[in-house]
Amino acid sequence: MNSTDETSQLTELVDEATTLEESSVKSSDNSMGEYQQLKQELFLTTLAIAAVAFPTVVYFYGWRIAGNYLLGAVAGVVYLRLLARDVDRLGTETMKLSFNRQALVIVLMLVAAKWNQLQILPVFLGFLTYKAASIVYLVRILSISD
Amino acid sequence: MNPTVAAASVIAAALAVGLASIGPGIGQGNAAGQAVEGIARQPEAEGKIRGTLILSLAFMESLTIYGLVVALILLFANPFA
Repeated sequence: MNSTDETSQLTELVDEATTLEESSVKSSDNSMGEYQQLKQELFLTTLAIAAVAFPTVVYFYGWRIAGNYLLGAVAGVVYLRLLARDVDRLGTETMKLSFNRQALVIVLMLVAAKWNQLQILPVFLGFLTYKAASIVYLVRILSISD
Repeated sequence: MNPTVAAASVIAAALAVGLASIGPGIGQGNAAGQAVEGIARQPEAEGKIRGTLILSLAFMESLTIYGLVVALILLFANPFA
């Protein structure tokens, strides 16, 4: 085999490797796009469920309980943000999950238990709105894949 | 508050938080570790792995939160006091 053949083979291999790398980068970008979309969807669904639940609670239980629910829902959205930030950082800036999220829940529940204007149950159920949003997302994904 | 009820509440709160954090703690550690390993093996699937991780962490962590809420209720808003 002469040197010209070897050079052309090498060039082909380099081209192939470059193409593979480009396609890998593209698919990584796509997958990160899906992840960003998932985060947005979770936040928006949480806000949408809270926006539907708040007037319902106002209608059935009055403004005070609805305020408690809203406080919990806002804390749930903040919790979800903190969780997303933690997952974003995982593997790049840090190798462990932080304790900030649980601290948020502890402070919220302590305030709800100690302050007379607040009640624990509506605050806690408001906080769990984010979980309803994730269940809605999972059901939607499963129904699409079926 | 009756001293017996107070003592039982404190022990129950400690058990609630302690026991409720064992399972999710192990689970979260495993999930995060496997996710980082998966991203290192397949960087092109990073978004999907992180998406699955965020959902599974949300579900796992709520188990700890249930225990935490029970403990805080027992300590600060005890219905048996």
